[in-house]
Amino acid sequence: MSTAVAIHEEAHVPQPTQVGKPGGFLRRTNFLTALISGVVTAGVFWIVTDKITTAVAGAGATNSMALPSGLNINITMMYIGWVIGFMAGIGAFAGPIRWFLGHDLTHADAEYMAGKDMGREKFWKFTTDHKVVGIQYLVVTLILFGFGGLLAMLIRTELGATWTEVFNPNFYNSIIGTHGIVMVIAMIIVISGPIGNFIVPIMCGARDMAFPRLNALSIWLLIAAVPPLVSNLLMGGIRDGWTVYQPLADQAPIGMIGYQICIITFAFSTGIASVNLITTIVRMRAAGMTWSRTPILVYGILGSSIMGLVWFPMYQYSQILALSDRTLLTSFFVPASGGSVWLYENLFWLLGHPEVYVIVIPATAGMLEYLPVFVRKPLFSYRLAVAGIFGVVGLSAVVWVHHMYMTGWAPQSNYPFMLSTEMISIPFSFLVLVVLGTMWRGKPWKRLPMMAVYAVVWNKVIGGITGVFLSDTPVDQYMHGSMFVVAHFHYMLMGAGLFGAMGVTAYFFPKMIGRYLDEFWGSVGFWTAFAGFQVTFMSMFVAGLQGMPRRVLQFDSLFNVSNWISTIGAYIIGIGMLIFLYAIIESWRNGILAPDNPWGGKTLENFTTTPVPHENFPVLPVVTSGPYDFGTPDPYELADDAIMQQTEGAEKVSAQS
Amino acid sequence: MSTTEERPMPAADEPESPTNRPGSMHLVKEWLQRPYVRRILWITLAITAVIIALSFVMVAFMNQSGGPASSIMDEIEKTMFVLTIACAPLMAATLAVLTYSWWGGWGSVAAADEPTSDGPGIKTNGVAVVTWITVCSLLAGFLVVWGLVELATITSSSYGSVPANQQPNSVKPVDVNVTAQQWLWSFEYPDSGNIQSSVLVLPVNVPAYFNVTSLDVVHSFWVVEEGVKIDANPGAITNTGFTPTKLGTFNVRCAELCGLHHAYMETQVKVVTQEQFNSWIREQGGNKTS
Repeated sequence: MSTAVAIHEEAHVPQPTQVGKPGGFLRRTNFLTALISGVVTAGVFWIVTDKITTAVAGAGATNSMALPSGLNINITMMYIGWVIGFMAGIGAFAGPIRWFLGHDLTHADAEYMAGKDMGREKFWKFTTDHKVVGIQYLVVTLILFGFGGLLAMLIRTELGATWTEVFNPNFYNSIIGTHGIVMVIAMIIVISGPIGNFIVPIMCGARDMAFPRLNALSIWLLIAAVPPLVSNLLMGGIRDGWTVYQPLADQAPIGMIGYQICIITFAFSTGIASVNLITTIVRMRAAGMTWSRTPILVYGILGSSIMGLVWFPMYQYSQILALSDRTLLTSFFVPASGGSVWLYENLFWLLGHPEVYVIVIPATAGMLEYLPVFVRKPLFSYRLAVAGIFGVVGLSAVVWVHHMYMTGWAPQSNYPFMLSTEMISIPFSFLVLVVLGTMWRGKPWKRLPMMAVYAVVWNKVIGGITGVFLSDTPVDQYMHGSMFVVAHFHYMLMGAGLFGAMGVTAYFFPKMIGRYLDEFWGSVGFWTAFAGFQVTFMSMFVAGLQGMPRRVLQFDSLFNVSNWISTIGAYIIGIGMLIFLYAIIESWRNGILAPDNPWGGKTLENFTTTPVPHENFPVLPVVTSGPYDFGTPDPYELADDAIMQQTEGAEKVSAQS
Repeated sequence: MSTTEERPMPAADEPESPTNRPGSMHLVKEWLQRPYVRRILWITLAITAVIIALSFVMVAFMNQSGGPASSIMDEIEKTMFVLTIACAPLMAATLAVLTYSWWGGWGSVAAADEPTSDGPGIKTNGVAVVTWITVCSLLAGFLVVWGLVELATITSSSYGSVPANQQPNSVKPVDVNVTAQQWLWSFEYPDSGNIQSSVLVLPVNVPAYFNVTSLDVVHSFWVVEEGVKIDANPGAITNTGFTPTKLGTFNVRCAELCGLHHAYMETQVKVVTQEQFNSWIREQGGNKTS
């Protein structure tokens, strides 16, 4: 940023003049003003819309309920008012408006926005510094996991109490749906948010993200998107599962609008964040960081961002169309008026499946990133890992129909989509070989991140084999919509995604926070949660095999035992996660101070001070070697080489290295 | 990376000495004699055995409520076995390397210490990569081919490309119109004077053919022990079918969240003899028996 300004001054480009203190309007905005502004704007939007809908309803109408969709329109406008008011209150529009009015942000304003020399208040403001955004993402993610986890405990309580209905069915269905979507949102951002924003620019050797203001916009849009979703529990619930299939969603109470507004807003947030990450990674890597020297985590975030950018709009459209069915009484998805439920299912799963890879790829890439550091060996077959990531990104586009094998939409399409689904296991197997090859003959350093690799690969193997069953249409004919599916995707999303994210967070924690994550309590929490996880979901596989459908609150007594075991396991997960949370909070405040290079890694973030200074590097780094140049010459290979040299000359050897 | 330059190149005019050349399998043999390779192979073998044993446990759980009750369910269970056995060695190899590294077979550094030396600098290994990709691709190819053939098999014995009631069968199939609504199933027998029932009654060893639809939202018609499932969509008719091969009472459940009482949207399928079926039809007031 400073270099860019220096060039401008040399070229005598007229700079905007500073009026008043740096920051201007932004000095007065923070999270509190955003909340107030959001609530007030929502109220204003409600009142104005109510007046208009009452007037539209015609003479004699006393309120908007006279219009068939009057209440829906009011609620929709109220939520839109909340999002606009919240974003205005945080100061998101200050930059564009000042540009429009002719006095653009100055350099001093930009530095104020980046939180230079500001204390803790920068975490509560529209701060553009990528490190602040990363921490904000981390905290938001923890809150979402806490909330989603609490709902999971409620679900398991209901399913464990096989003799009674603990909750009424409407509330139970609502917490199922809310748990699902809250966890999916949290899992999508858990690596790309905190690690992607904080670490990736430093790893690339950049001073900030490509578009710092868009970066701040993405986190605050996310924060604006969550309250409408959570509020659904107070407004009748969504009772449709996280997939909110039509036309059931059309029957749902007004809480559904909160879900729809949340997804529409969140999709903007994701799109903006993806563009930002892709641009940063493609354009702002340090001098000398060729594509063959780019750390694998950067590739993972790039692949994940590409999928998010391309596929999230599908989900967004599906919710916009559903919202329009509700408020404008269109009939995109209403069969009675010529709509199609299959159209909704297609739009939904066009994101719904790539989203799984949006979650799993960054977690896997993060693991591959630190694995070489802990075994002190090069990453095995770096290019195969890159090929694996992009193979998954490419194939993710053509597998969504495997969620619709049993819908009857197009039975003939089951053949090609079974083919593509089985094929995606090939690029995934590349990543498995990279992990195994890196472990091969290495001495693991048994710290928490390394232990997380073992846990994640174990979970991935189980998630993988059960995925093979489900991708096979005949078996899916039995498994589809059963608890088996639930257990399978928890093994992938939670077992590989969340446990992977815990390892990745433990690895980058010292760099981000400046203190190590407490090894003892972190490990205790991690392994407790892992043990509980195996109990819960192994038992859930059994329930699925026995024929228990998902999303039920009462069931045949045949499934009692497996559900009791699952519930006990779930409580163990809950305890483990609380311990892990304690480790995070305790280490954040009193952990062991981390040196500049906490683990002896060779990527760029290890070559700046801890805590990372404003604008990251005093002098921008130049990269002269690969990120994983660990290792001593291999005694076995030296022996092989000697034989090879005697017989075939050096050709083969140079090809190997 | 720079090690190649340090190695002396053989002089161009120096003749190769064929007597020194080891056999092409030399490297593989040498590799198989390494102690850790042998141990990992033994662990792989043990885990493979466990996984194959587990496939029996899985199928036992699937049969706990009385299945398999149709040829489709037989095929599904056979597929479960084949998929598990095909994937077992690769899964086991992965877990074996994982276990070996975790147990410290190659040594380890305690959490309290810090690593003092680097491991072997293996950047890649062409033979390993090519072998792995080949094996995985062949495995995936086998799974696809097996799946496609099985899908074609169960399709032809359920809804098929030709509707079951037009197929040249020795016995006339039973047609059933299945209507789902929140939150109950109703079954109509169009061949028998459109009699209605809330319980599905079918004669054994006679193909049954279903036209499935819904009055309100998406449901899913799942006849658990027969291994058949198809969504019931409002405004559309989907088809499925099966031939029950086992007498008894089995379960129909809704497998797609359909609102408040989704959990209670279940009924029974009673598979009875042809004579019992005929008398049941007469009891219900059906005017014609099949």
